[in-house]
Amino acid sequence: MSHTLNVVAATLLAGALSAQGSPIRYDFAAMQNVLHAAMDKVGPSTVTVQTFGGTRKTDAKWQPKPAPTPGAKKPPGKKKPPPLGMSGFAQSHGATTGIVLSADGWVLISKFALNYDPTTILITLADGRSFTAVRKGEDVSRQIALVKVDATDLPVPEFVDPKTIKVGSWAFVLGRTFGAKDPSVHMGVVSATRRVFGRALQTDAYTSPANYGGPVVDIEGRVMGIAVPMDATGRKANIDLYDSGIGFAATISDIPQLIEKMKAGEILHRGYLGIDMDHSHLGPGAKISKVAPKGAAHRAGLKKDDVVVEIDGVKVENSFHLQMLVGIKMAGDSVYVKVRSKDEEYGLTVFLEKVPDAQMEAKKPADKADPDRLPWEEPGKGDKRPGGVPDK
Amino acid sequence: MICKMGCVLLFAAVVAAQGGGGFYAFPDRTPKTAIEKTVAKLLPSLVKVHGASGLKTIQSYSTGILVSDKGHVLTLDLILIQEERTKVVLHDGTVCQVEVYPADETYGVRILKIKDEDLKKLKQPLVPLTIAKEQKHRNGTFVVSIGNCFRLAEFSEKLSVTLGVIVSRMRSGLRYHLQDVDYGGELIVTDAPNNPGHYGGGLFTVGGEWIGLNTKIVESTETNSQVSAAIPTGELIGYIQRCITRGKAGAVEPERAVKVVPVFHGIELFDHGRRVSPPAYVERVARGSPGRTAGLRPDDLIVQIDRKVVHTCKDFNLIMEKYKPGQTITVTFKRGRKVSQTELKLAEVK
Repeated sequence: MSHTLNVVAATLLAGALSAQGSPIRYDFAAMQNVLHAAMDKVGPSTVTVQTFGGTRKTDAKWQPKPAPTPGAKKPPGKKKPPPLGMSGFAQSHGATTGIVLSADGWVLISKFALNYDPTTILITLADGRSFTAVRKGEDVSRQIALVKVDATDLPVPEFVDPKTIKVGSWAFVLGRTFGAKDPSVHMGVVSATRRVFGRALQTDAYTSPANYGGPVVDIEGRVMGIAVPMDATGRKANIDLYDSGIGFAATISDIPQLIEKMKAGEILHRGYLGIDMDHSHLGPGAKISKVAPKGAAHRAGLKKDDVVVEIDGVKVENSFHLQMLVGIKMAGDSVYVKVRSKDEEYGLTVFLEKVPDAQMEAKKPADKADPDRLPWEEPGKGDKRPGGVPDK
Repeated sequence: MICKMGCVLLFAAVVAAQGGGGFYAFPDRTPKTAIEKTVAKLLPSLVKVHGASGLKTIQSYSTGILVSDKGHVLTLDLILIQEERTKVVLHDGTVCQVEVYPADETYGVRILKIKDEDLKKLKQPLVPLTIAKEQKHRNGTFVVSIGNCFRLAEFSEKLSVTLGVIVSRMRSGLRYHLQDVDYGGELIVTDAPNNPGHYGGGLFTVGGEWIGLNTKIVESTETNSQVSAAIPTGELIGYIQRCITRGKAGAVEPERAVKVVPVFHGIELFDHGRRVSPPAYVERVARGSPGRTAGLRPDDLIVQIDRKVVHTCKDFNLIMEKYKPGQTITVTFKRGRKVSQTELKLAEVK
């Protein structure tokens, strides 16, 4: 069966590539059947994720303007008004998608669903059964989260080894957001593999909250990854990347040991060495230009102007190569670093830490004014209503 | 959506290479592939619509579809259509004056009728499209969407074609330019790019069946993301046929009297929110009320009503407005960690 599917896919791809003239038939009816067969194979494993309650977080870049304090001077310069609909844009309360990981109730969802810190997570299976889910671990670097429901005999999809995925093969993103019986499907191809330090593949199928958490499926109905809100550096994607043709899917089958950690409730982060590099130093080795105080490198004893020669036995070619070597690691991992300092080489072990929050998130404004607070409830004004009438 | 322009232009080039007439400079080419054949068959039935608009944000152009050989053109009621200024450009470049029919309020579509004196001048007969009989195509069905995006085609130039699949059928809240849209019907969501000017064009299966009329790009309140969508043609049959058989008078639908009767369920929610509505936790249930009979208790979280999700107390009240006394609803609620369902028969307010 899989062989015939491949032949159909290959014919279609050839048809799409041959620009003009050559009499290759576009067999859309066959392609449609293949796509529907893939949907039928994975569809039962996709679930709807609904969340209730939680804090309403918006983008930290824009906050409501604080009330002007009397007597304060206006800051110089014109301030740009916040762009409507871009930053400061609240995430909707709509449903997202998830995928069954194992038959005994482990379900993988995107971290996007947990942005609100919801009090209740409701998982609705394809057959209509509903369960409340318990939050377990998360992988912040892959933007995925694991939840557990009290169910047995869930349909488990087939996962693909990410090493066998080829650029240009079909990729369909399934979602279960719009509440229909059939999963929604977006069509595209695999644009690139091993993106975001080998954590994700890139696809040109449109990804948005409509299918975040849903599986990215190949032509044979096997799961290649989970569509996640991520940008090229691995941070949380903003609304600009919705349906842009630049979508990322975290690959799953290559991280069984991390899944085990997540089942135990651990929250995993990317490993952070805590150095800045001199990118004008073209190698061999990567020259350290700055060491973050109290960072992992500082604690291990790396100094400014040291040149990192080797990481875990791999010769470092330049600063970019070092980024690639360290980027794969998770916080809590240790790396063996060989350093050349003033013509003297020595090795040391660095225990990587999680990236400090200040670097990952935009700076929070100093004034944390509660948007729900009424003017007479401002601190320092006393609990008096306007007109000096005390509140009874 | 503008980033999808590249894709649109690519397909426009493919279409431009085939067929053609008038003063269009590129040579003809016989269609070979399935899509080329379908598009060549459909293009004579699509027209460019030019209206009058003095506003920057509202495009004065869109696309229309011929629905009768008497010159009825179906288009989306978007542009500020003034009778004396509105023109329709047929596929061979002929410019026709049109008569403007009243719009259909429910679906936001409008029929334009080519004036009789212009009809007499036409060299070729009009090729109307018929609505597909099979309306319920599965998600993942290949579709082509044809329209005049960004007014790239003028006179006899060919319209743009985009390819995609049916993503889903959607019945959720919609928003356009930060304003809620009152549209209760079903929409076909596709991933075939839809851009300004593409509005009013058609959505077809690869076999050439006409299944949808492209809408403007709206935002779903479920996901806060933009969707390219089309109104299913099955929903428009009534309006089109009334216009064709009875003319201008038939376009106005007889008003249906809608009487809102409040329902009594006896459930009081813990609605303490000032601006942000909280989740629908039950505060108390009146004695002897339908809610008490259904077995609801304080501190239950109401999650769904008839499979519609209730995120907040506001959602609960909005959903309840649509029911009448005497109807039975299925309430899904969460008590502790258990999710269960119960039937609730709504009563009249005493």
